[in-house]
Amino acid sequence: MRASSDDVVRGTNDDASLSRLSAVTAGYLDDTFAKLFVRRPMRRNPIINRGTYLRTSALDKLVSQFAAVHASLGRPWQLVSLGAGSDTRYLLMKTSGQQPRKYFEIDFAEVTTRKAMALSKPSAQKLLGTAQPGKGGAELYADDYCLLAGDLRHFEQELVPRLEQHGFDREQPTLFLAECVLVYMLPQDADRVLRWTSTHCPTAGFIIYEPCQPDDAFGQVMVQNLRGRGVELPGLSQYPDLLAQRTRFLNLGWHGATAVDMDQVHDRHTAAEELRRIAKLELLDELEEWRLLAQHYGIVWAWCEETKGDGSTASQPHLAHWQLPDYSTTTI
Amino acid sequence: MSSDLDTQIQRLRRCELISEKEVHQLCDKACEILIQESNVQRIDAPVTICGDIHGQFHDLIELFRVGGECPETNYLFMGDFVDRGFYSVETFLLLLALKVRYPDRITLIRGNHESRQITQVYGFYDECMRKFGSVDVWRHCCDVFDYLTLAAVIDDRVLCVHGGLSPKITRLDQIHYIDRKQEVPHDGPMCDLLWSDPEDISGWASSPRGAGYLFGGDVAAMFLQVNDLHMIARAHQLVMEGYKSMFDDTVVTVWSAPNYCYRCGNVASILAFDDHLNKEVLFFTAATQDNASTLPSRAPALDYFL
Repeated sequence: MRASSDDVVRGTNDDASLSRLSAVTAGYLDDTFAKLFVRRPMRRNPIINRGTYLRTSALDKLVSQFAAVHASLGRPWQLVSLGAGSDTRYLLMKTSGQQPRKYFEIDFAEVTTRKAMALSKPSAQKLLGTAQPGKGGAELYADDYCLLAGDLRHFEQELVPRLEQHGFDREQPTLFLAECVLVYMLPQDADRVLRWTSTHCPTAGFIIYEPCQPDDAFGQVMVQNLRGRGVELPGLSQYPDLLAQRTRFLNLGWHGATAVDMDQVHDRHTAAEELRRIAKLELLDELEEWRLLAQHYGIVWAWCEETKGDGSTASQPHLAHWQLPDYSTTTI
Repeated sequence: MSSDLDTQIQRLRRCELISEKEVHQLCDKACEILIQESNVQRIDAPVTICGDIHGQFHDLIELFRVGGECPETNYLFMGDFVDRGFYSVETFLLLLALKVRYPDRITLIRGNHESRQITQVYGFYDECMRKFGSVDVWRHCCDVFDYLTLAAVIDDRVLCVHGGLSPKITRLDQIHYIDRKQEVPHDGPMCDLLWSDPEDISGWASSPRGAGYLFGGDVAAMFLQVNDLHMIARAHQLVMEGYKSMFDDTVVTVWSAPNYCYRCGNVASILAFDDHLNKEVLFFTAATQDNASTLPSRAPALDYFL
């Protein structure tokens, strides 16, 4: 029997977990929790390791900047990870004491059930503290962490009430994360999530990581190959490039949005010493191939912020300076 | 022997494996032939030169359809026969069998992937283990790699090499001094020949690949002048259009793996020189656009971020 498209989308999480563990094993990333989520480790191609590393470290930088802005203002903040899969970010943030007031993760019940099981292993359990299981083991509720099962297609009706029931506070600064998630949804379903969050959360950030450029030669083969594995990318034709993604956020009520592809992340937003370090880990046999691949994935981050002016002049929004560090002026 | 060999060639052409014992014998024979070749093998035109193949067996068959069969067409393959594609074993063994059968009609030079270290990362080692269940076939093939020549010169005019130039080599005869029968070193002239790339710079620069160098048009011009050559033909870099000419057509890149890694959507080419060294670029696309029919059912997942 052919797997349903929802099953295939859930399966993409296993692939991401394998890739993360592969990048950890090869020395790109430091993440002692990656192995909790992989049953059979597999070595991935060096360009996949490189891409996994650059994606993770770029997102880390954006997340910690968002955190730093609110820490400097003395404001507690929260993070909502949509389609969180087996992401280890909460555990890593908690390890370094950087976790938000509350970290919410949402995914299909099949995925969260496995995540809840993995989180019961001692190394994770120790960090999590007392966690109450719910929904037959598909959910977990702890002081600063909450794992919820649900379908993002019913975000407002089903998920928002459940988030609020578990301490989500729309008035508090909120960072939403969606890594390779929205592209699997119909654009109108995904857009409803983006619209709701910009409308109801006065101060918020939204970070997505998505494929892009489906229309050139590499992009066409990508769409065809993934289709061959049953993976459809309905969001990609509606928002095919980074400009379209930026416009999307602005049209859906966000005040500012920035988009970079992974080739730019590599060339401009990664420190020279980091590039030197990863170049030594594995010989990259084909740079053109790396560039091609990297030009077909991008990070988009958007913000909205309620600014309290004194009536005549509004104060500058703090999130307007939410950027990746730029190293392009320094020679590599 | 030659009728056995012809049978093996027929089987390999159908993408069928030969036995481990046959592989062993073939590799021994190949080494006997390759050891006699010079580090810079002299070749007479007409010849058709080919770039990276990377285990894309069905596309190699397509290449022969486009360029003519061996031995009717005289071929020069500029390395990177293995890794990345799913049929590195069949691809390399077919080329090797042709080499043993028609030693004067096909020349194989070494690419940076013809290395123990690189094949353990990029697929050939795993493929040998998967298809033969032991490391022996991989070991025999790696022994052959060490005998492959490093470069070729066509009619004293065109230098063919997998990657490019080395700052340690100004004259062709310096290549002759290299003891090539070894694993590809991490640096030095032999490494550079297999790893370097031309780039729009002047002089030399370090390579972002972590091995070899980038060399500019001035470096290429000087090298050609000193050695009384017209052109450097090389492979090594994916070119979406299959063929790229640089520095007033003095350095050309030939890429012969269409839709590289079943993923890149690129065109491939081969470069045919006639008796008078007039050149013609022949382009071709993937043997099939339908990956499902050429990929083995147990092939590893295609590499995307999901």
